[in-house]
Amino acid sequence: MSAAKAIRAGFRGWLRRHAYSLLSSIGALVRSPVASGMTIGVLAIALSLPLGLYTALANLSAMNTDLERLESISVFLDAELDEDRARRLASSLSTSPDVLTVDPISPEAGMRELAGATGLDDLELGEVPLPWVLEVTPAREGDVGGLAGRLRALDGIDQVIVDLGWLRRLEALLGVFARLVELVAVLFGLAVLFVIANTIRAEIQSRHEEIEVMALVGATPAWIRRPFLYAGFWLGLFGGLGAWLLVRLGLWLLAGPVRDLGASYGTPASLQAPPAELIAALIIGSGLLGIAGAAVAVSRQLHRINP
Amino acid sequence: MIVFEHVAKRYAGGVQALADVNFRLEPGEMAFLTGHSGAGKSTLLRLIALLERPSRGQVLFEGRNVGRLSRRQIPMLRRRVGVIFQDHKLLTDRTVFDNVALPLHIAGLSFGEIKRRVGAALDQVGLRDKSGMPVPVLSGGEQQRVGIARAIVAKPPLLLADEPTGNLDPALSEELMRLFCTLNELGTTVLIATHDLYLVRQLGRRTLVLDHGRMVDDTVPVPPGSTGPEVLR
Repeated sequence: MSAAKAIRAGFRGWLRRHAYSLLSSIGALVRSPVASGMTIGVLAIALSLPLGLYTALANLSAMNTDLERLESISVFLDAELDEDRARRLASSLSTSPDVLTVDPISPEAGMRELAGATGLDDLELGEVPLPWVLEVTPAREGDVGGLAGRLRALDGIDQVIVDLGWLRRLEALLGVFARLVELVAVLFGLAVLFVIANTIRAEIQSRHEEIEVMALVGATPAWIRRPFLYAGFWLGLFGGLGAWLLVRLGLWLLAGPVRDLGASYGTPASLQAPPAELIAALIIGSGLLGIAGAAVAVSRQLHRINP
Repeated sequence: MIVFEHVAKRYAGGVQALADVNFRLEPGEMAFLTGHSGAGKSTLLRLIALLERPSRGQVLFEGRNVGRLSRRQIPMLRRRVGVIFQDHKLLTDRTVFDNVALPLHIAGLSFGEIKRRVGAALDQVGLRDKSGMPVPVLSGGEQQRVGIARAIVAKPPLLLADEPTGNLDPALSEELMRLFCTLNELGTTVLIATHDLYLVRQLGRRTLVLDHGRMVDDTVPVPPGSTGPEVLR
């Protein structure tokens, strides 16, 4: 037999051995459906927590960006500025790249708003002189603080009011939340590792006779290890899939209430599912975690068979 | 095929299972290993298949010192030694076919080849029609034969059997022994540990006798009808 032929034959043997381990590992899972199902359920729930939190965080961040866009700067002009100058200032401001829209509000309109908001009528408010006000909506990715500073420096401007405090607080809160998601992801990743390692350990114990028999008829440690590694992979993989389904289910259950919530604010609202790459990474990653957990458990047991 | 040179085995706890055992088994030979229970028969077999390592002396298999083999080399040794256990050591959740096929799956043979060889091995032990059955529904004798089929399916040059007739009735025992003789005639070296002295005497093959871990006799008993034992050593 030529060298190339020998290599091909060796590769075919390797493939067959892997196919056998792959199939026998699925067979072992299917033979005990309740136990496998419960383990996969635990894994799915453990993995759904970080994924669910991440999804919630992603949706809140998206909402935050929307809120930022709605944020506006109130520019109070000097009281002596007339309508003509106010409108000219407004149109010149609206050409600035970091400004999305400028909405001039006349003293009369301001008065009506004030009366509506306070419940006092024009008479009671009397002759309080209201200035022209420009409601400036910053461009989406603009620096709101910088824009406000520049506005303050302009001629004919009395006061610039930006209330970014609550937005900053929300952002900081989201930052805390994001770190929390990372922590939870690490913790539950470890939990998955331990659950799979422990499941495989129990599996090895219940099958120690089989392992002994295999060793007795000349199986290499790699051969004995392989079905357990595959089993760990399947557990992790199905656990990841289950977590994805749970999150999908959660999104579906929340869709109605969220739509109602959006409707009450007059904006269409919907929840975004996590991106496909993240799902793929989760499922494959949990499969790999499964292999790692199984490897830990198997190597501890194998040393006892071969003296 | 097998050479024992001053082999001793002492287990943790101080039990001396074997002490200064010396013998040779030539390729193609068939021999029995007898002795009282606890004489060290199983230990001797376990040393050959490297289920244990000797405490002293050396065990040679095909010219190589078995006790010196590294862990990585153990599987290759075991593939050249078919072992039949008294308690069968079958996988009870699999079919007869799957049990017999196990050594061939481990060797990475193609499914067609495995099917052909398992069929041939089951033919030899007369179990071809039980191929698809789960192991637990078989009788003790049938399970023992499944174990034999598994031991011979990969055609190892050496066959070790530990009390293969332990729980079988005399007729089945004789049938099994005849099977071992046939395998031996086909070229396999066979070493059988048994305390069934009646059968050993009947077959008139070389017999090694262990007593408290020492090899006390190495004879060829004369089958009924001839006169006087012939001492080899």
